[in-house]
Amino acid sequence: MKKIILGLALAAITLAACNNKSTESKANKAVMYTNSDEKNLSPINELVNQYLQIKNGLANDNGTDAATAGKAFVESIAKVNTASFTTDQKKKWDDISADAKEMAEHIGANADKLEHQREHFEMLSQDIYDLVKTFGAGQVLYKDADTMYNKGKGAFWLSEIKEIKNPYMGKAMFDSGSIKEEIK
Amino acid sequence: MRLIVKILLVLVIVFIAIQFIPTAKNTSLKESETDISNAVIVPKKVQTILKNACFDCHSNNTYYPWYSKIQPVRWMMDTHIKEGKAEINFSEFGNYSTRSQISKLKGLANSIKDNIMPLSSYRLMHKSANLSDVEKNLIITWALHTSDSLSVKK
Repeated sequence: MKKIILGLALAAITLAACNNKSTESKANKAVMYTNSDEKNLSPINELVNQYLQIKNGLANDNGTDAATAGKAFVESIAKVNTASFTTDQKKKWDDISADAKEMAEHIGANADKLEHQREHFEMLSQDIYDLVKTFGAGQVLYKDADTMYNKGKGAFWLSEIKEIKNPYMGKAMFDSGSIKEEIK
Repeated sequence: MRLIVKILLVLVIVFIAIQFIPTAKNTSLKESETDISNAVIVPKKVQTILKNACFDCHSNNTYYPWYSKIQPVRWMMDTHIKEGKAEINFSEFGNYSTRSQISKLKGLANSIKDNIMPLSSYRLMHKSANLSDVEKNLIITWALHTSDSLSVKK
């Protein structure tokens, strides 16, 4: 009888200990996840990456790459989780994303018309800039400007690298332009 | 030989049959409050060019020529009108957000500059849609100027 009670007590202690451990590690994990969420992921993370792919496609005169990224961009818009947005953010998101979607659709549908893609990329850049200013990019970006594009009207784009790689001029004048702003 | 006659006969019957499929017209009698002329300043000369070269596919009022009564011409027109209105509808320009109005005006200037618009098939059938360089410049300057002034307002 004594042995049984002792045995039960031991079992209870070990079980309790095990339970404690597992809940502790769970808690640790949960903390880790929320930390990385806040630090690295902006709600528009995917969109920024696909925008940068469009930009790199155009800088390499590769309309097909730009179009592929443009189509992916359109799909990602629908996947953005807007549940946590404030009313003001939601309003901005609806306005900007509707326009950005149209621009990305044009870029996606015109793989064989680089100039047409670039025209829409100019407007998409304004949309992305406004989105980044509202929601953050989750990475350092540079706002670069080319003052010669469009008969001297000028245009800007966002880049993930310090080096200038002009998506409006392509390979012909890839290094024309300058950094105007660093967005953190 | 008899096979060819049969095929031709079938084609003629199909051609006659499709003439009876009912179609809806893209016309609206009432004046649109959201028309572009109520949203931004549209000079008379610009308005005339837009009406002659754009409104048939980019507004709620299409002028239907005689050959529009023949199928499958009408189906082709209907597709162009549907796609055209999705891109920019001058009758509902006032419903667009300011951001969208700016983009659409820039897009309008670009497509005229690049000769994408008016469509070549449309230009073939409509003399007045063959814009001169002066007319093109007028539209482009107006569109960009208007989009700039909207940007300031934003």
